[in-house]
Amino acid sequence: MSTDADTAIEQRLEEIRLTRRVRWIMYGLLSVLFVVALYGSIRLMDFSFSYLYQQWPYFTDQIVNYVPDLEFLIEENLPLEAGITLAMGFVGTVFGIPFALALGVLGSGRVTPFPFNFIFRSIMAVSRAIPALVWFFIFIPLSGLGAITSTIAIFVSTIGNLGRLFTDELEEIKEGPIEAMETTGASKSQTVSFGMLSQVKTSFIAWTLYIFEVNVRQAVTLGLLGGGGIGVVIEVQQGMRAYDNMMAGILVVFVLIVAVEMVSQRIRSYLRDDEEADGLIALIVGFPQRMAESAVK
Amino acid sequence: MSAIRVENLTKRYGETVALDDVSFEIEEGEFVVVLGISGSGKSTLLRCINGLAAPTEGAVYVQDEPVTSHRNDVSMVFQQHNVIEGMSAYSNALTGALSRADYLESVLRFNDREDKIKALEALETVGLLDEAEQRAGRMSGGQQQRVGIARALVQESDILLADEPVASLDPGSAQTVMGYLRSAAEQRGLTAMISLHQVNLARQFGQRFIGLADGKLVFDGYGDELTLDVIDELYGGIDMEEFLSTGDDKREATQ
Ligand SMILES: Nc1ncnc2c1ncn2[C@@H]1O[C@H](COP(=O)(O)OP(=O)(O)OP(=O)(O)O)[C@@H](O)[C@H]1O
Ligand SMILES: [Mg+2]
Repeated sequence: MSTDADTAIEQRLEEIRLTRRVRWIMYGLLSVLFVVALYGSIRLMDFSFSYLYQQWPYFTDQIVNYVPDLEFLIEENLPLEAGITLAMGFVGTVFGIPFALALGVLGSGRVTPFPFNFIFRSIMAVSRAIPALVWFFIFIPLSGLGAITSTIAIFVSTIGNLGRLFTDELEEIKEGPIEAMETTGASKSQTVSFGMLSQVKTSFIAWTLYIFEVNVRQAVTLGLLGGGGIGVVIEVQQGMRAYDNMMAGILVVFVLIVAVEMVSQRIRSYLRDDEEADGLIALIVGFPQRMAESAVK
Repeated sequence: MSAIRVENLTKRYGETVALDDVSFEIEEGEFVVVLGISGSGKSTLLRCINGLAAPTEGAVYVQDEPVTSHRNDVSMVFQQHNVIEGMSAYSNALTGALSRADYLESVLRFNDREDKIKALEALETVGLLDEAEQRAGRMSGGQQQRVGIARALVQESDILLADEPVASLDPGSAQTVMGYLRSAAEQRGLTAMISLHQVNLARQFGQRFIGLADGKLVFDGYGDELTLDVIDELYGGIDMEEFLSTGDDKREATQ
């Protein structure tokens, strides 16, 4: 008896050892491939450290011109331009949400049966496959070179990017609550809302905030192509070699992006800490009451 | 009219025979405990009765109608609670009334006042009225299980199924939860079918017992007919002395 068990254990150990060895060989091969690819890439673009070394003194000479000109910042009202950039990212995201939600949910194999969910996935794939920059160029004939076209480009790429995140998130959900909703005699749409969407509610909000961050950065980039907002200022000043003005614009971008990320990340960590969304609402709704209470004290 | 009628029910998963030619009939208002070792087919039986699984052969009738899919007159309490963690205990209980509200009403919690009262009543029945607004995901396992029971009660079904509702609970909470199930069934005149691993609890709360082994029905009887011999047959080779002593301690302690 015990020798039987012993040999079984020996055999299992041998199997485990073998699979681990195979895995190590795979890791080794992958590392070699990685190094080759890196080396090839560097060679391909004639990357040369010695050239950078030669140019370094010239670069440091120029750097004095890079001090941001704060007067320009105020005169040209750059914060307002940054506000336009923020608005492009915001409106593009908000318009994208309902489409991303609809396509993301319908693209999930758990809502739409297998071959048909690919219809919705393909729509999202098209939206994603074309970068926002290219969408921008495509829509210039529609709404001109400006903020509106940028917003449309952001809107279109949000559908695919956010929708895809929603679909992926839905693959992770637990079967149990879905079955539980089915046994209550709920309709299909009720089962989807309560059994599925309520499981991913907080992560959907978190992903939306993340895409919003990405979109604001994207709005800056589109501005560099003439798409409105602070990006245009940077592009124009760079064209005029007015580096101090350009740096003033970059400073404003820096503040904008950091502020957006800070707010978004605060909200996201708040959500992760398991505060129910109701908690957030309660916080806002309860605010006047708390103010009143503290006034009475 | 019998509440549940199972006729020559066989369920196969590929090669595995989960249920093998099972037949029985349950009258309205009975409190039935399903016993059997792990893998004997308890979950499969309950899932066939509420339409979560389709029979391979044979048929299941609820109130003399064949079961073809989920129906709102059969409610279910799950072993893994399956409550919606992001929602409050109250909102969870209210999902039991989904079939009585249309989509928008239910999403916006614009359910009938009557259903809202029922949800709170059910929470009171399971001793969670004070925790009604607490987020279910933050509750203990025992509390979540009681939320699951409240949801099933709000459904106002005629038949209540529970698949190992106390398997993940400590002995004290297990007693409490079984107590709630039994009293809720009595108050509301439900027919209940509950699978259990704990023989002590089964003997304490069960009226009628159905024993499964290897997918076959090996016992069907009331109260004292569940003798130690039967239990020995069902569970095979457990230490009877040991079992008896702990079992009797429990019974005395709770009385
Ligand atoms: N979805 C499924 N797919 C394949 N096999 C299954 C499935 N569900 C159950 N089985 C098999 O059917 C048999 C009975 O399973 P069932 O879950 O009904 O047992 P159980 O009595 O509930 O056990 P436990 O006490 O461990 O929950 C087992 O052999 C199991 O592997
Ligand atoms: Mg089971």
